[in-house]
Amino acid sequence: MTRRDSLYRRLLTWLLLPMMALGALMVLQAWIEARHTADRAFDRLLEAATLAIAEQVQWQDERLWLDLPPAALEMLATDAEERVFYALYDARGRFVTGNADLPGPPHRDGENTGAMRFRDLLWRDLELRQGIRRARLEDWRARERFEVRVAHTREGRERLAGELLRANLAYILGMAGLAVAVVVLAIRGALTPLSRLRRAIRARDPRTLAPLELPLPRELAELRETLNELLARMRRVKANQERFIGDASHQLRTPLAGLSARAELALRQDDPQRWREALEAMQATSARTSHLAVQLLSLTRLDNPEYRPELAPVALDELARGAVRSHWSACHRAGIDLGLEAPDIPVTVAGLDWQLEEALANLIDNARRYGATRITVRVTAAPPTLEVEDDGPGIPADKRLLMLRPFHRGSDDPDGSGLGLAIVDGIARTHGARLRLDDGSDGQGLRVGLHFPEEIA
Amino acid sequence: MRHRWLLLLWLWLCLAPLVGAAERLHYPAEPMAGAAPGALVVHGALDLAYARPLLAAFHERHPGIEITYRNLDTLGLHPRFLAHPDEVDVLMSSAMPWQYRLANDGHAQPLTSPEAEAWPAWARWRHELFAFTFEPIVMVVRRELIERFGRPESHAELLALLERHPEALRGRVVTYDPERSGAGYGYAIEESRLSPRYWDLVAAFGETDTALATTTGEMLEGLESGRYWLGYNLLGSYARAVVDDTPALELVVPDDYALVTQRLALISGQAPHRESARRFMNFLLGEPGQRAIATATPLGAVHPALDGPGTAASLQATHGEALRPVSLGPGLLATLDDLKRQALLTRWKREFTRGGTAPP
Repeated sequence: MTRRDSLYRRLLTWLLLPMMALGALMVLQAWIEARHTADRAFDRLLEAATLAIAEQVQWQDERLWLDLPPAALEMLATDAEERVFYALYDARGRFVTGNADLPGPPHRDGENTGAMRFRDLLWRDLELRQGIRRARLEDWRARERFEVRVAHTREGRERLAGELLRANLAYILGMAGLAVAVVVLAIRGALTPLSRLRRAIRARDPRTLAPLELPLPRELAELRETLNELLARMRRVKANQERFIGDASHQLRTPLAGLSARAELALRQDDPQRWREALEAMQATSARTSHLAVQLLSLTRLDNPEYRPELAPVALDELARGAVRSHWSACHRAGIDLGLEAPDIPVTVAGLDWQLEEALANLIDNARRYGATRITVRVTAAPPTLEVEDDGPGIPADKRLLMLRPFHRGSDDPDGSGLGLAIVDGIARTHGARLRLDDGSDGQGLRVGLHFPEEIA
Repeated sequence: MRHRWLLLLWLWLCLAPLVGAAERLHYPAEPMAGAAPGALVVHGALDLAYARPLLAAFHERHPGIEITYRNLDTLGLHPRFLAHPDEVDVLMSSAMPWQYRLANDGHAQPLTSPEAEAWPAWARWRHELFAFTFEPIVMVVRRELIERFGRPESHAELLALLERHPEALRGRVVTYDPERSGAGYGYAIEESRLSPRYWDLVAAFGETDTALATTTGEMLEGLESGRYWLGYNLLGSYARAVVDDTPALELVVPDDYALVTQRLALISGQAPHRESARRFMNFLLGEPGQRAIATATPLGAVHPALDGPGTAASLQATHGEALRPVSLGPGLLATLDDLKRQALLTRWKREFTRGGTAPP
């Protein structure tokens, strides 16, 4: 089962997990602290008892003597009724008296007397806390060292530690509950703007591209700005499309109106010769119109950002040669010198042959239409380039970019559609090539070049 | 009455197939429907006369349980227990320090039952050790002494009496010998803790050449026969019966302080018949057992719900302020300390012979 990812759950998990770990740590610490506190309090009893016993140790009959004070043992047993053990040992570690042969300190250290040592001890299956006092007789006859060992069971300590821990635990649990509530509320509060944004987007009219106006915290404001930028781009694209459609319908309406006027004029006459002239003129106009329609079609196709054709290797030199061959006779008739410059080696790029053919045709056609007398189709190998150069009037450098926009014409040429260079630009973009408009070789005319990317074969 | 007991005892001793135990009681199991079968071994320092009504009452309630009781003296009881801790279920003894030491060393097992929970806290330790009797330590005085010098009602009056008439009372006073009697030693150590004037009393005993006995019975015998006029520190439970039968004797519970000794019972940690032991303890601490103690023995019942003659409640009603039950605490361990014992006995002998006359 896969759980849906959720910011709320993620935040909750990553805030609550460390908090729980922290809480567990606090409980552990509280337990250790409670034990320490209880041990400190009860160790005072061991200390007092050993002191009371040590004070009664005397030197009598050439030996250590103890008149054991019962109160010293009584003080080791609290309300918890601990088991009590005591023993007195002489300087050589020999048992003098006591109710149990209690083990001594694990390692004897130095001669320091009066020192008190405590330790936990497991003795005859009993958990004991032991206190050991090393002392010395302060007697002018004997200065014998001795050791008082007392021990009692841990019931009283455990009871006190339990009480301390319970008090601490209530406090920790209260804090934990408060912290969880605060965290949950804080996460809810922090995520509110997100649902506000979601509601605002959902409530929008799908046709509107107006920017989102909505106060949001900084992180979400960035998201809102990015969305607004996208919307602005979409608005521009939409405006472009609307203008294109307007231009295109205008372009198509003009020849259609011409056709209609020509037909009407011809119908008013009876001379078949005039009809014929009119029909011929109408044929030329309709041919131009259908050419225009074809160009519009290919331009829309090229402008479609979804259009990603499968590119195949194309030999540029072959392509240029074919274009020159097919246009040569038309140019020759018009008195235009159409030539080809190509290297001997084949130049291959990834592309679509029909698009490149169309681009070449458009460029040759343009050059012809703007009054060139000499047109050169040129192919170079490194980098792969396809160029068409003419000696026509050329385009001033500051207007070259405008020429790439659809329906923009360099001069008032009634036959031109103004789509040629826009189509070539579209084809160049499809091929990932760069379109360059330069002056001709001797400073006049125009040189249009498609600079293909280097093959990374 | 006592002769009939002795006769029964003698008969039983003759018939008993077992040997080795000086005094034994045995109740065979009577198979009965609805009665839980089992066995129970009780060792105690409790005379058969007192143990019998208790065990009989228990046997009546649980006829399926076979009971073996051995009466041992206080000194023999504990070495035998330590040698064979798994042969006995319940240990009852008036040697409080020894019982306490066994429990302190972990030889007892705790008893958690409604009866044990309801038991007064001052009469138990850790649910392991339970004081089930209440016996004051008393003085027994003969008529002759009362007629001549008045009845001493407190330790102070006793001391004054001894100091005023040492010659008249010479050899007429008897008390425990702390050196030869464990109980006497125990009382001495408790009294020396209660009051420093105890030593003056010991010195006064020495001045009057006080006789030293080892048992309450010995003292009672001398008092009955008229050899002694005053017995000090007698076990009240034993003295009561004799005093009641002897018009010449009077029992005095001192009104400044009166020690109270209690018999302690524990279940052995390695009890072979754990369930029977629990039943017996619950009986002992429950109302039935305590009522048997109150009515059939002079031991004194502790149960807070019982009152009337033979109970702690009635004693506390008449002597409440003066009663000093020996506290069930680690202070008892000091009593068993060898050096402590030697120190106390040395002091005791020194005080006793302070006047220059040697003890008998």
